[in-house]
Amino acid sequence: MDPLTAMLLIIAGGVLVGVCVHFIPASAVGAMSASTGIATGPSMLSFGAGLTGILSASFALDSGPVAMLASGAAGSTLMIVLTILGGNLANAFGTGVPPVSGQTASGQSLLGSSTKDVITGWEQKPFVTPGTDGHGMPAQTAISGIIGGILGGVGGAMVFLGVHFLIVPISQETAAFSGMAAAGIFLINCVLPAYTLVGKTEGMFDRKMLTIPKTFLSCLIVSTFLALIIYSVSTYASTGAV
Amino acid sequence: MFQILLLGSALAGLLAFLAGIFENEDSDAGSASNPNSQVQLAPQIEHLHRYYNKAIAGEPPQNALWAALAATVAYILYTRIGLDPVPGVILGALVGALIAAVLQGMYGSLAHISRIASMKNFKQILYWDSLLSPLPLSMTYTFLSALCLTLLSFVIHGLLGSPFPVPLIAMFLGFTLGAIASSTGDVHYGAERLYQHYKFGSGIAISKQGDIDVKGEYGYRNSVDTPYFTLRFGGPVTGLTFGLLIFIDAFSRISGNVWTSVILEFLIIALILIVIIFLEKYTRDRYGPFEEGK
Repeated sequence: MDPLTAMLLIIAGGVLVGVCVHFIPASAVGAMSASTGIATGPSMLSFGAGLTGILSASFALDSGPVAMLASGAAGSTLMIVLTILGGNLANAFGTGVPPVSGQTASGQSLLGSSTKDVITGWEQKPFVTPGTDGHGMPAQTAISGIIGGILGGVGGAMVFLGVHFLIVPISQETAAFSGMAAAGIFLINCVLPAYTLVGKTEGMFDRKMLTIPKTFLSCLIVSTFLALIIYSVSTYASTGAV
Repeated sequence: MFQILLLGSALAGLLAFLAGIFENEDSDAGSASNPNSQVQLAPQIEHLHRYYNKAIAGEPPQNALWAALAATVAYILYTRIGLDPVPGVILGALVGALIAAVLQGMYGSLAHISRIASMKNFKQILYWDSLLSPLPLSMTYTFLSALCLTLLSFVIHGLLGSPFPVPLIAMFLGFTLGAIASSTGDVHYGAERLYQHYKFGSGIAISKQGDIDVKGEYGYRNSVDTPYFTLRFGGPVTGLTFGLLIFIDAFSRISGNVWTSVILEFLIIALILIVIIFLEKYTRDRYGPFEEGK
């Protein structure tokens, strides 16, 4: 693989990571069962999922790029779907609330005035605790989370792969170094959407999906810079300067 | 090879389950994650409390720090002491986890004191018992979770064959476990334990936030009481989530073929999705519908 393709992989992976955060339903107020979404910040949750993906992808390092991307996607998605299950269990038996989408219930989601879940067709409005913005993760947000997990896992694995190709000529510990660099690039791209999501999103039916172009542009710029930096370091090091 | 992978998967699953429980209790004993906002808000609505309130950082980076620190110390000791692998790893992990726990105690005390001091305008008093009694408990849970995560990292590196070095795996797992614990087990603390004087079976309305339960079973509530409650449900749920994640991820690779592992994982994901939808149906039949104004 030539350096340009490796850099393009890093850039495309970084952008995918940024976009994936929009799909993963998360909200810090969810910890009080007062808002729909997994009960933690979207950035940190996506980062946790992405790291599982990178760890999974590392096992498939010698099996070719496609297998590696698939492995990353599977690890990341598994983490998200298990967290949704755990969160819903905590909501069901710890707090005693059904999973319900607050934004769909109030008719403000991308689904228009419909107040029903897209997947199951269940009415959302009567099941929202008064004074809250929904709770738990209903089926439509779970599906959105799975899509986010796949995007994040593929994105993380792409970054990992790109960095790996760039540093193979200069280092013995390629897996360790590329894992660390991929985690760093993943974290930066995860945090950028926080400025458009402002701590809360319900996934692909949330109105904040409309802000994806902003995330796309910011992640594109930042990932390009990061890819250039890694390329420069690897070229500089391969000349024997380091 | 097959037997080593099987042993590794089982051991990793067990260690991950234990690490999940201990990490969640560490965060609950110190009000460390998202519910920390409620403890911080309470004095502003005249609820003076005796909760231990250490939120050193967001739960994922904080937990990643303890795990990476313990694993780094353990790895250095293991490679330098020259003991046999098993006693060397265990001894190294014990020393590493101890150092992580001591550091957590230092950071936690300072975080609690400064957080309480920042509430001086709302007449919140710095009660020494609210710091000194939960501190050893919180440190113990950090010790246990760092120990389990370090041993887990050695298992993933040694038995399961990850190309990443042990401290990096520990950092990754610490982050992931922090993200899982703050989104599963903490719901039990934030939405139920802190609001036990509200009726079970509804979310906490935004207008009620900060109105936390400051009275305990006997006198004022102290954070020592919290794990007594959350260990019954929040902790095991976190452990189950993280344990299942590590076990399924490791177990799916047992055949040695990447594509078998990917297909198996996606099948399990589909199965979990079905469980999620059945759980939603069950809760809808059991709780609600809620009426406006109640």
